[in-house]
Amino acid sequence: MAYWPHWLVVVVVAPLVGAVLAPVVGRGRPKVVALWALAAMGVTSLAALNLIVRVAEDGPFSYDMGGWEPPVGIELRFDEFGASVGIICLLGMLALLFSYRYAEHTLPTERVPYYYSLMLLNLTGLIGFVVTGDLFNLFVFMEILSLSGYALVAVSGERIAEMAAFKYLVMGAVSSLLVLFSIGVLYSVTGSLNMADVAARLGDWGARSPAMLALAGLSLGFMVKAAIFPVHIWLPDAHAIAPSPVSAILSGLVVKVGVLGMLRVYQIFYAAETLDLTGLNTLLVWLGAISIVMGAFFAIFQEDVKMMLAYSTISNVGYIMMGLGLASSYGLIGATVHVFNHALIKATLFLSAGAMIYRTGYRTLHDLRGVGKAMPITTIALSIGAISIVGIPPTAGFLCKWYIALGAFQADQPFFGVALVFGALFIFVYYIRMVNAFYFQPATHPEIAEVSEAPLSMLVPVIILATLCLVMGILGRIPLSFIEPAVTRMLAPLGG
Amino acid sequence: MKRALVAALLIVAAIPLLSIVAELPPHAAPDSPAYTHVSAHYLEHGAEEAGAENIVTDVILNYRGFDTNGEVTVIFTALAAVLAILLLPSEERVEERPAPAMPVSMVVRFVVRLLAPFIALFAVYVIMNGHVTPGGGFQGGTILGALVIALTIVLGEDEAHRLLPRPARPWLQAAAPLTFVVIGIAGIAVVGSYLGFPAEEPWQWVRTAWLVILEIGIGVGGGAIIGTLFWTMEAER
Repeated sequence: MAYWPHWLVVVVVAPLVGAVLAPVVGRGRPKVVALWALAAMGVTSLAALNLIVRVAEDGPFSYDMGGWEPPVGIELRFDEFGASVGIICLLGMLALLFSYRYAEHTLPTERVPYYYSLMLLNLTGLIGFVVTGDLFNLFVFMEILSLSGYALVAVSGERIAEMAAFKYLVMGAVSSLLVLFSIGVLYSVTGSLNMADVAARLGDWGARSPAMLALAGLSLGFMVKAAIFPVHIWLPDAHAIAPSPVSAILSGLVVKVGVLGMLRVYQIFYAAETLDLTGLNTLLVWLGAISIVMGAFFAIFQEDVKMMLAYSTISNVGYIMMGLGLASSYGLIGATVHVFNHALIKATLFLSAGAMIYRTGYRTLHDLRGVGKAMPITTIALSIGAISIVGIPPTAGFLCKWYIALGAFQADQPFFGVALVFGALFIFVYYIRMVNAFYFQPATHPEIAEVSEAPLSMLVPVIILATLCLVMGILGRIPLSFIEPAVTRMLAPLGG
Repeated sequence: MKRALVAALLIVAAIPLLSIVAELPPHAAPDSPAYTHVSAHYLEHGAEEAGAENIVTDVILNYRGFDTNGEVTVIFTALAAVLAILLLPSEERVEERPAPAMPVSMVVRFVVRLLAPFIALFAVYVIMNGHVTPGGGFQGGTILGALVIALTIVLGEDEAHRLLPRPARPWLQAAAPLTFVVIGIAGIAVVGSYLGFPAEEPWQWVRTAWLVILEIGIGVGGGAIIGTLFWTMEAER
């Protein structure tokens, strides 16, 4: 075997080793452990880059763990959707860099290594979830990332944070249970845990209702993780109260686990061709549409900047779910690329908001008035993020929303294309409110004018992300055409 | 009212669930896919292909070793979560703790101390013998953890803390995932895939040795983590 498939092991194992050794390396040395975590993610990113180049050249490939061929052993599989490992690494690195100051100042020194450990574990879980081709393995990585996610919300130690984390934990545990139960049902009718093998054998068992039950359980479980209406209630508190670098990871990446999980479910059930998925698709499109409007609506009334961003995540996952449910090639391409772009944009927003909160100590629009003059670079970055998330042309948010709207027309459901545009208008309103407060309203607290720009370790990630929001708008075709073969393959059983 | 609503919701959810579960392959039916596909392969070839007479051990350490690699990471995540939230800064640690309302009786103290070496021996037995009989690293590690807890209660914290020397503690806590990574990489070097075990003559002893090393890693790591969780939560009291 050539050496390069081992990169697939490296992307999972490198952050894992970084995580378990962080307490060894970082005992009493918060700066060293930050560098150690960055180094671990550096190695991971290198491996991820290699994999993405491979998949672009040769298409999907597999790695048999322990040399056992699937379905006897566990298979890692890297396809075009797996390329989301790239964005996981990028956001991971930037959030870790951003944490450099945050962790040092807000956490007791003893806890800092465990904070980095949890961050790396969360990234390990995300990466493992994306690259595995085995259902139970998927569940194991989902547990790693969920558990570390709950803890990261509570890490600041404030009472309200603990409550938010607990709410998140209860909802998350129910969704994990649903997913595990459904995997059990699939195993009992197919005798296999390998995704491709399950898809091939699903039709063999006479009764179709167990497959339906599994589909329902998996969908509901992943919808909770994706925080789609009406199971979104855990998200706003958890994402708003978590430390800002954690919010960026949770909102940018962890909710996408629900989306990527749904993608895997669709891959299995489309390929199995035993069930008609029209019902589920209709449900997803409707719930997506409701999430868009509802998330945007509630965001308008928020005073807390991070709360606003959290509600906006619900809207945006709504766009993605709608794109999935439309089951047309444009819709799906738009949805998968929005997974990537939304991660970039939301990280920009959360990190720049986090930098403002770090410097000023205020977190509501009212208190933050006039911050635009004191922290010009951060505010520009936040504005770029805001323009992108509304979907105004030359930015990253535009193309994918455009594609999802096209998908609605392609699927002969133009109503949803219209709903999408309305949602964008709502979103426009509250981001205008934000930009207006930062730039044009007189400062509520005069001392805000004396605040200086965020420290470099915070400013650099924010600038990189804001630049990427613009660059991805201009180079938006690249991810679209990259993901196209995977979407075509996935929709092939539908006859186009 | 609220209760009635919850009950109604549960019933509405239960009816389809139960009716569908009834359509699953009956338990213990010989033609059920759960017995005829992958698990049949394990039962037929497990002992000879994967190296342990206990088929469960074959599955969790060899065939699906990567899952177990993830599971031990979940356990480590639980530890990191507790420490990131509850670990007290050293200046806040209470030096003089008030004596417990009910002191541990002399009988209990004597019996626990008397039994401690035997409990430890039993833990080692369960860990080492896991590849032949039911048991293994997880079970043995739990016994070790229980021993640490029992000794903490009778000896007091300071004595018990010497069981896991402070500098070695983070290494011991990370023992399980680290062992998996080391064996996994050894697998790449020797067999050509992560967590691969050599199966050809005359290298089967290497395979057995690796399986035992994994069990020991899981056991030591599990014990250290259970002990630390207990100490951390106790300090929070």
